[in-house]
Amino acid sequence: MKLVDRIIGITSIIIRQLLRDHRSVALIFLAPIVVMSLIGFSFQDQPIILNRTAPAIIATMCLVFVFMLTGVSFLRERLSGTLDRVLVTSTSKIELVFGYLIGFLIFALIQSTIILFFTIYVVGVDYTGKITDAFIILIVLTITSVSLGIFVSTFAKNEFQVIQFIPILISPQIFLSGIFIPVEQLPWYFRPISNIIPLTYANKSLRNIMAGYKIEDVISELGILILFAGILLILAILSVRRN
Amino acid sequence: MIENSIIINSLSFSYGKNLTLDDINLEIKKGCIQGIIGSNGTGKSTLINILVGRLKPSKGSVHILGSSPEVKLLKNIGFMPQKNSIYENLNVYENIDFFARMQGLSNKNHRKITVKKIIDTVHLKNMSKEIVYKLSGGMKQRVSLAIALVHQPKILIFDEPTVGLDPELRRTFWNNFKNLSSKGTTIIITTHTMDDAIHCDKLAYMKSGKILINQPPEKFLDTNKNIYSLEDAFIKLSVGKSNEVS
Repeated sequence: MKLVDRIIGITSIIIRQLLRDHRSVALIFLAPIVVMSLIGFSFQDQPIILNRTAPAIIATMCLVFVFMLTGVSFLRERLSGTLDRVLVTSTSKIELVFGYLIGFLIFALIQSTIILFFTIYVVGVDYTGKITDAFIILIVLTITSVSLGIFVSTFAKNEFQVIQFIPILISPQIFLSGIFIPVEQLPWYFRPISNIIPLTYANKSLRNIMAGYKIEDVISELGILILFAGILLILAILSVRRN
Repeated sequence: MIENSIIINSLSFSYGKNLTLDDINLEIKKGCIQGIIGSNGTGKSTLINILVGRLKPSKGSVHILGSSPEVKLLKNIGFMPQKNSIYENLNVYENIDFFARMQGLSNKNHRKITVKKIIDTVHLKNMSKEIVYKLSGGMKQRVSLAIALVHQPKILIFDEPTVGLDPELRRTFWNNFKNLSSKGTTIIITTHTMDDAIHCDKLAYMKSGKILINQPPEKFLDTNKNIYSLEDAFIKLSVGKSNEVS
């Protein structure tokens, strides 16, 4: 019971702190819409490209924004000493990471809902699948992204360094996960890298879901994504140290 | 019989090859205010970090209330670090309420009463809805103190708690500490300030990772050796004349 209460406590301060930062909240929700509008209206006359690209953009924005939010927030906790202080209470590392995870999951899902509905109803991308199936993919991707953000924040000494991880960890995922060029058409030496990045599987499954496939049809991609999420979650918990 | 709250036996700690704590032995009785003084870099904060379980000893042992420092023991410890380490975007009440929750006070109504009581204790009643970043340094320290006290721990560990406080606030802090000590709470304080050191029941002087002397503050004074104040004693000890003081 205390475990659940502590997790809820951590989740609520994450949400409360973010909500007090009005500008950040506005950017979290507006920036993806701006990006999606640019892409959507640029490819307005090329529906095949748009239908192929839009799901991947949704997944990519979920990954990038959640990674940045978590990485910077967790680093701030480390730098301000609040993380250390929480860890000298009877709170466990697992409670801490799960509290964070749920806090950012709520934000990511609100963000994803806005992007998804904007993409379908404003940009006009075809969507014939189940919305809930898309959310399953996005939830697993968010867990991956929050865990990656927590893990990476261990190696950064300031916010600037967290941002520097984007070209190293996120950009390769964007270029090699099949957003612009299908993985099969990538040069042979890039294909093995595509196979070991989470965004490849998120894009593939989300694209298929939006094209009308069911969740059981993308179970192998979803399974690999869950595996990534699990491994990164363990790494995130291990990276939080009392000492 | 007065029991020991903390027993430190032959404790050593190294950062790599750098020996930071060297064969520390210390017994702290229940309800005692134990001060730890020493120049910068003598290992005071390292010792505190071992007591709160953030560092593990390289050698020797630490027993707090009969067990080694570990997660389940932390509910008995209140810790106020050197840096305030509070959430700047939350208000006073939210900060204290959050840490109370992290210490296992899961009943909402009980927690509400406890948090309000502790806010009164640190004289922040009218500021409870203020966002922390708008508060003065002294007020932030009061919030930090309240966080350390909120779960009514048996042991309080303060790493330089009164740095930057005005004399009035310092007195308020010490009144709180003495009140808690009289009720059986064991308090450990590291400090550079001799005005603080004089309030302690016992004072351990650390140098180069060792505790050279541990005795009541008044025993540091010796008019025959021109040691009229703790500051005189501290300066003599710092320049290496420990035999003149002890």
